[in-house]
Formats: sequence, structure tokens, C-alpha cells
Amino acid sequence: MSEIIIRAIDLWKGYKVDGSVTPALRGTNLEIRRGEIVALFGKSGSGKSTLFNLIAGLDRPTKGRIEVDGQDLEGLGDRGRTNFRRLKLGFIFQFFNLLPTLTAFENVFLSLELANQPKPDLALKALKEVGLEGKEHRFPNELSGGEQQRVAIARAIVKRPSLILADEPTGNLDTLTGNHILELLTRRCHEDGTTLIMATHTRLTCRNATRVLRMVDGTISEETSNEELPH
Amino acid sequence: MKVVTKSFLRYLPRRLSLSFLQLIGVACGVAAVVGMTLSAQTALKSFSHTIEFLKGKSTHSIQRPIGPMEEEFLTKLVQDPAVERFSPVIDRQLRLENGESVHLLGIDPFLDRSIRPEILKIEFLEKEIDPLKNILSFLTDEKAVLVDHHLKKEFETRSPSVLKTEKGPLHIKGSFPNPSGEFLVLMDIGQAQELYQLHGYVDRVDLILKDESDFLSRWGKGFFIQSSRQRRETFSGMLQAFRLNLEALSLLALFVGVFLIYNTAMFAVVSRRRDAGILRSLGANRLEIISAFLSEILILGILGGALGGLLGFLLTRILTDLLGSSISNLYFFLKPEPVSWSQWILVIGMGLGCGASLLGGIFPLGELIRTDPVKALSGRIAAPEGIRKAKRAALGGVIILFISFILFLLPNAYVYVGFAGVFGFILGVSLLTGMILLILHPLIRKIFGRIGGLSEKVATGNIRQNLGRTGVAIAAFMVSLSMSIGLSLMIGSFRQSLIWWMNTQIRGDLYIGKIDEAEVPEDFFEEMKKINGIGGVHPFRNAQTLYQNTSINVSAVDASVLQKYARFGWLNGGDENWEGVKQGGVIISESFSRRFKIKAGETITLEGIRGPETFRVVAVFYDYTTEHGLVMMNRTTYIHTFGDRKLNNIGIFIDPDEPRREELLREVRRKAEARGLPVLTGSQLHKNILDVFDHTFTITRSMRAIAIIVAFFGIAGALLTLFIERSREFGIYRALGFSTGQVARMTLIEGIEMGLISFLLSMCVGTVLALLLIKVINLRSFHWTIFYFPALQPYLITGITAILASLGAAAYPIWRVFRTYPQIQIREE
Repeated sequence: MSEIIIRAIDLWKGYKVDGSVTPALRGTNLEIRRGEIVALFGKSGSGKSTLFNLIAGLDRPTKGRIEVDGQDLEGLGDRGRTNFRRLKLGFIFQFFNLLPTLTAFENVFLSLELANQPKPDLALKALKEVGLEGKEHRFPNELSGGEQQRVAIARAIVKRPSLILADEPTGNLDTLTGNHILELLTRRCHEDGTTLIMATHTRLTCRNATRVLRMVDGTISEETSNEELPH
Repeated sequence: MKVVTKSFLRYLPRRLSLSFLQLIGVACGVAAVVGMTLSAQTALKSFSHTIEFLKGKSTHSIQRPIGPMEEEFLTKLVQDPAVERFSPVIDRQLRLENGESVHLLGIDPFLDRSIRPEILKIEFLEKEIDPLKNILSFLTDEKAVLVDHHLKKEFETRSPSVLKTEKGPLHIKGSFPNPSGEFLVLMDIGQAQELYQLHGYVDRVDLILKDESDFLSRWGKGFFIQSSRQRRETFSGMLQAFRLNLEALSLLALFVGVFLIYNTAMFAVVSRRRDAGILRSLGANRLEIISAFLSEILILGILGGALGGLLGFLLTRILTDLLGSSISNLYFFLKPEPVSWSQWILVIGMGLGCGASLLGGIFPLGELIRTDPVKALSGRIAAPEGIRKAKRAALGGVIILFISFILFLLPNAYVYVGFAGVFGFILGVSLLTGMILLILHPLIRKIFGRIGGLSEKVATGNIRQNLGRTGVAIAAFMVSLSMSIGLSLMIGSFRQSLIWWMNTQIRGDLYIGKIDEAEVPEDFFEEMKKINGIGGVHPFRNAQTLYQNTSINVSAVDASVLQKYARFGWLNGGDENWEGVKQGGVIISESFSRRFKIKAGETITLEGIRGPETFRVVAVFYDYTTEHGLVMMNRTTYIHTFGDRKLNNIGIFIDPDEPRREELLREVRRKAEARGLPVLTGSQLHKNILDVFDHTFTITRSMRAIAIIVAFFGIAGALLTLFIERSREFGIYRALGFSTGQVARMTLIEGIEMGLISFLLSMCVGTVLALLLIKVINLRSFHWTIFYFPALQPYLITGITAILASLGAAAYPIWRVFRTYPQIQIREE
């Protein structure tokens, strides 16, 4: 059995809306092992993005604890959490979230620079791997949606992180492009031994996962196989 | 360069039009400060250079408390053991034929050599003649003058050997070096006495003393003996209030500039918020985001500052002349040199631009640092947060307003405290803007909803929805418009108060002679008195003296004539106050009363020709002739005290029902003109005074114009940013079926609404600002009461400016709406 890379224990998170607290997570527990490709399946508003933000250290839980690589995320402090995102975490968003003022190359290189590995050839190689050779100097608005998501994948994988969080990575793409993107992403994670957690509300995404977690109303209620998922 | 920084800096070329507007906004703010400060500094430096140069090696000067000094004292000075060297001086203004004034110094070249040796390094025009002959010609030719090199250069192209003046042509014999930069004319003292009809008198004697206390023991009574330092301080003191107001105007310009930068920085934060969220999620720390953002605003600060420095330098070309003539009109003759170009101006401009950018960027930067990456990424930063912030800002505003209110209430507080209060008031009201906008929103929505259609409703909603951005832009625009209204109302009220004052004091039919030059012969006054039918002939003398080592003015009047014809505005009592003046008492101006804290019924002591004399203060009257304070006494009291019989002008009063009125006026005019004396009617004199007033306030008006220009760029930048930020939203509107025209109309309505709201707020704020300037600042710096006169014109002009600025500012975004296809707008950047 490989070691546990993420452990969430009794995780609670609430948001204040009109004066009252609405819980987004209600005592979530989670264990993910190194190299696993996990699909976090759930409807919109079930708490998937909240959980991702907590794992990434962008947000802090109301109650509970998250351990990454055996270390308490809260105990790392702001600097420690920033370093964790720089070195160990890759983030892929539904709306790509590329920096509009940077070219495809620069968006990828940014990730390397932050990880203190400013090697341009690595960025070029990553772009080539995602099939964007020749489009390195295009700005995001000069690329299609699929191409933008490929840049986002290159940005995430280029620094060889131990964990990639992909929040609805195909949610904004057509089925064919989505399939290509998923295949690319899972293949790269398999090859590098990177842990991948994908938040999704479609079955399609779950097909590529080795393990599927189901999220309902802020709790991971059951662990299910791909075949058991509703059509 | 780091990619994080690059990602921020790329916005500058990408949003070129916005960057340009921001750049111009910073440049205008910096130009106003650089222009005003440099001009003021140059004028004041020029002033101290002149004082220093004219002082030469003298340690002291001696003069009568008022008026010229009798020449007979020179023989006593020669024999005085405490005097090492001395030089009698005639120190006057000389008006050239073109209306320009220059400084004329009448000296004895032999005695003056030891005091001002540099002046006498003369270059004679006729070089081929023996120097001795040249000197003789300078001494014997009653029209001979020497001019300084600057003046010679100025007149070289016209007539090299003739200086055309209002006192006739003078013969230029040569030139001399003058490092002070002020135009200077030298004349032999004997010829100068002739020119100014000062036979047997000199204005002062410059001294090099061996023993000050010994000298004072013999000459202390009936004379003013000032050390060079005291003399410099006296002159500097005269400019104190003027200088303070210039500093305040510069600060005001800087305030608007910083506000604008704050405005633009705040917009930059809004558009960088999402990027900051992405960067944080990728592992960028706060410091990297801070330095990226700072680089962006500092580049704008450096470029805008450099451009501002350049524009400011060009502005000094106009302002320095304006300042010089204002100081000459109000205080003493000063012709400052134009500011010379230095690379330091660019450096100062850049420094100011960066400083202002940092100051304006501090709060936005804090905002950016505090940005929650989760919210930024999900786009969940909108109205509720804006409303919460508006409420918090309003609370801060109320606290600042309360503190300002306390500052205004402090009794006898220094004028700087008043300025702090005014700035606090502007800042406090600005912070309240968002909250006021929230309160007024339902009403505005209702009004625009009624008069317009869907576009109007959406536009009104957008202003509230984007409160974080629109609130700041409206506040910045409101401050500029308020400044415009406040300054206009203050100037207008001052002008009206001056007109009221002129109608109370300057009621004569004719005035003979010039107020600033004591040139009306006494026998002419006697001649006038002999003309039958004239109701009153009023002899007027105005001179400067010292009271408690501070420069004040003393006026000699005929109490009987003024009692009959003038209608002074009294702070206590009425025209019966003249009875006390006839009995040897004095009346003092409001500025004197407030400055030296003296009330009616108390006494003041002035140094007279026979030593200190004490006078009872009969009453206090409103006066705007000098902020230094004016003591008015009957002519008999004045002559008895100061021995000065000179006259500045004569007022002629003829009763309206006098049957020979027109004939008498003609006769007086003829007699005056026969003696070469200038004659002005009462209304002409009123007009001249108002011209000086208007000229003095040209600087204030130019600052007001700059504030409006800065505001224009502010509102234009705000609208453009709003447009860029919401271009996707516009695309959706168009996809939903809004026509291009409707979207353009929406942009236009937003612009007009923002302008209109800013204007409505500025009507209230500007009026209060005017009252504060009148009741607090003017009273504390000039010690006089200005009566508030409401006027419609400032509101109308500012309102039109606001609407035009809004339309102009909306023009570019509208052009962009027409130019951009909806699909481009909808697509992700």
C-alpha cells in the first residue's frame, strides 16, 4: 500500500449568508494515497470546490484538520501553505484561469519561476507534451477553449507536483475536447506518479479515475465504482 | 523581470487608452504642484536675493517711522563715533512707459562704494570717452541713469541709450552687474531727489555700524533702526499670509492629484483582483503580488511625474509672472526671474509622481493584499462587499468630519489648524460618498426609470452594483467640482465684499494722484480747498511703519470730510466714531484688531518723530486694503506725530444737488491736469481696484481650472475602466437583444448620472467649503471678514462643466461599444 498524501478529518466549512451560517462542508473525512487518480463526483453546490480550496490551503476550515504528506496544513502557516502550492500542488480550473496578459509560454513558465526552477526548456517541453508546439507565444484570447485548458494542464504538470487538483477540468469544453483533455491529464499523472483529484458532476470524467468519491451536501457519503454512478 | 511582475505590467500597453488617461491624470496633478511650488519658491527666492543684494555690506539702516528722512541728519551721522560707513538712499519704484515697474535706487556713488561695491563696476556705453568724463556726465546730467545688465539687454533692441518712463525719458549712461535678477536702475541721489521732488530728504540711510547699542542710545527716539536681519524678517513677514495661501493651493492640487491616483489605483486593484487570485492559487506570495502591483503604479508615477514636471515647468512661465505682479500689486515691487530649466525638475516631478502614487496606492494595495483568492477566483466580490465597505468608509468619514469640526471650533487656532480642518472636511465627505449614493439610489433609479427606458434602469443599477468603483470615481469628481464651486463662491463673495467696502469708503467724485505714490503737492490741496462749491476736499496719506516689529499701514485722513461723505462699515458704533478721531484718537482696521488683539477703547503706541506716542482706539472698521493692519488718524494728528506732510491723493466730494457740479468737476480736472496729476473718477478707481483684485485671483482661478482638468481625466478613466471590466457583460446584453445604440446609451447614461450625482453632491460640499474658506481660512490668515454672497453662476458653470466632462469621458467608451463586436466581448479575455 502506498502512503497517504491527503487526509481530511471531520472537515467543516461554513459561509455567512445574510447573517446566518450556511455549511458547505459537514464533517467530511477523506484519505487519498500517492499516485491515485480520484474523481470527486457531486452536483453543483455539493462542496467539491470548497474542499479543493481547503486542500490547496487557499481557504481555512471552520473545524477539522487537513494533513498533506503527513503535515498539518494549518500548522504550516501562510508561508508554508504558499510553498506547498508552489512546489507540491498543481491547480486546474474549469474556466482555465490563465493570466490574460501572459503568453502560453509565460503562463507555464510562471509556474516554474514560482517553484524556483526558471528553466524555459521545461516550459517549452510541457507545452509540446500537451500538443501546443508552435503556439507558445499566443495570448489566451488567441487560443480556443481546449487549447487554453491544455496550457492550464501544462502549467500544472510542468513543475512535477505530487498533487494536482482539477476543478471541473472539462466543464467548459465540448465532449470530444473534454475526452482528449482528460486522457492527456490522467496519462501524465500515471506516468509521473502524480496524485490527481478531479471534481466533476459528469460521469465522463469519472471513467478515467481509479477511484470515485461521491459528494452530497458537504459530506463524502459513499465510495463508489465507476459503473455504479447514475447515468 | 519576474513573470509575476510582467503579468501586471502588461496591462499598461494592453489597455493603452486607460494607461494614457491615468498618465495624464498623474501628470496634471504633479504639474499643478510643481508649477505652483516652483513659481512661489522662485518669486520668494528672487525676493530674498534682491533684499540681500541691495543690503550689500550694510549692517543696519535708519529711517523715519513714516515718510522720508531729513537730509540734515546726514551731517550728524558723519560725526557719530558708532558709524563706520553710511550711504543715503532714495528707494523708489519707477514706472516705465510700457507700464512695467522697475526698482530705482538713488545713491551717492562715492559714499555707496563701501556698502555696495559690486554695483559700481560700471560698463559705460560710450567706451571711447574718458571714464572720468562718463562719471561726471552721470553725476551732472539730471536725467542720467545706470541700468543693470538684465535691463540693458531688455532695452538693447529698442533704444539703447534712452529709458522711456512715465517721468519722461532717462539717459542710460552705462550698465552694472546685478546678480539678484530684479531690474534695477541707479541714479545719483541728487538727481533722484529732483525726479521725485524730495528736496532735502532721503528715504533711508544704510549703515555699517561699529557699536549697535551705542548708536541706538543716541538715535533710538524718532527713528526706526533695523538690523539687516530684522529688515529681511519684516519683508518676509509681509508675505507670510500670501505664501501660506500659495502653499495651501499647491497642497489642494496635490490632494486632488493623490485622490485621482487613489482612484486609478483602486480601479487597477479591481481589475487585478482575479489575477491576484490565480497567482495566489499557483503559489505566489503576497510580497510578489505587492511588488508587481507597486511596479505598475510606480511606472505610472515615474512617467506621469516626469511629464508633470515638464508641464509644471511650462506652467511656471505663466505663474511666475502672475505671482510677481500680484506681490507687486499687494505688497512691494517684485519682478521674479523666470524659473530656469534643470533636470532636477524632472527628478522632482518623478519623485512627486511616485510619492503621490504610493500614497494613493496604499489603501488599494491593502485591498489587493486582503483579497480572498477563493472569492476572487469565483468572482464573488460584488455588491454586498461594496455596500459593507461603503458603510465602513462612511463611519470613517463621520469620525474625520467630527475631528475637523473640533479643529474649526478651536479658539485662536493657527491657520494651519484651519487648513487641516478643511482637508479633513473634504476627506470626510469623500468617504461618505458611497453611503450617500446608496441612500439616494432608489430615488435616482425612480427618476431615471420614469424619464428613460430599460437602458436607463440598467445603467442606474450598474452604478450601485459597482459601488466600489463608481463611489470612488464620484467622490474624486465631487471633490474637484466642490473645489471649483468653493473657490468661485469665495472669490465672488470676496469681490462683492470689496465692492461693498469701496462703496462705503471710496465715495468721492474725483481722485487726484495715485494711491501708491506720494506725489500730490500740498499747495495743490490748498488750491482745491479754495474752489467755491466743492463739498469736501479730502487729503489722503498712506504710509508703512512698524508696530511691535511688524509692518503695518498708517493712513492720514480728514475726519470731518469722511464723516460727511463716507459711510464706513463699523464693527462697533457708527459715524459718531469720527468725533473721537477729530480729538486725536485713531480707528483701526479689523485686520489690525484681530492680528494684534486690540479692541475699541484700548490704546496703541506708535513710534513717532519725537518718540513713542500713545493713541486711544476709538473704533474698529471693516477694511480690505491690507491684511497687515491699518491705523487711521486725522491728518493733524498724523502730521504732529510723524512730521510727514506728503499726500498720496486728494478726494473731491461735490454734493449731488450742487448746481455747478459738472462745471466744478471740469475745473478740478483742468487744474490737476495742468500740474500733470492723474485724475480718476470714483468709478474708475473702483474699477482699478477690482482689476488688481481679479489679477490677484488669476492664480487661484488657474488652480481651479487644473482641478477640473484633473477631474476630467479621473472620471474618463473611471468610465473607461468600468467599460473594460464589463465589456463581457455588454456583449451579453447585446446577445440578449440590446442594440448597439442601447448599450452605448447605457454607457452614456452611466457617465451622465455619475457626473450629475457628483455635481449634486458638490453643490452642498462646495457651499460648505466656501463658507469654511471665508469664515475660517481667510479670517485666520488675512484677519478680515468676508461676507458670504450667494451666487448662481459658480453652480451653473460647474454644472455645465460636470455634464460636459461626463459626456467627454463617456465618448471613448461609446466609440469602443460601436467598434467592438459582441462575440469579442463575450469571449474570455
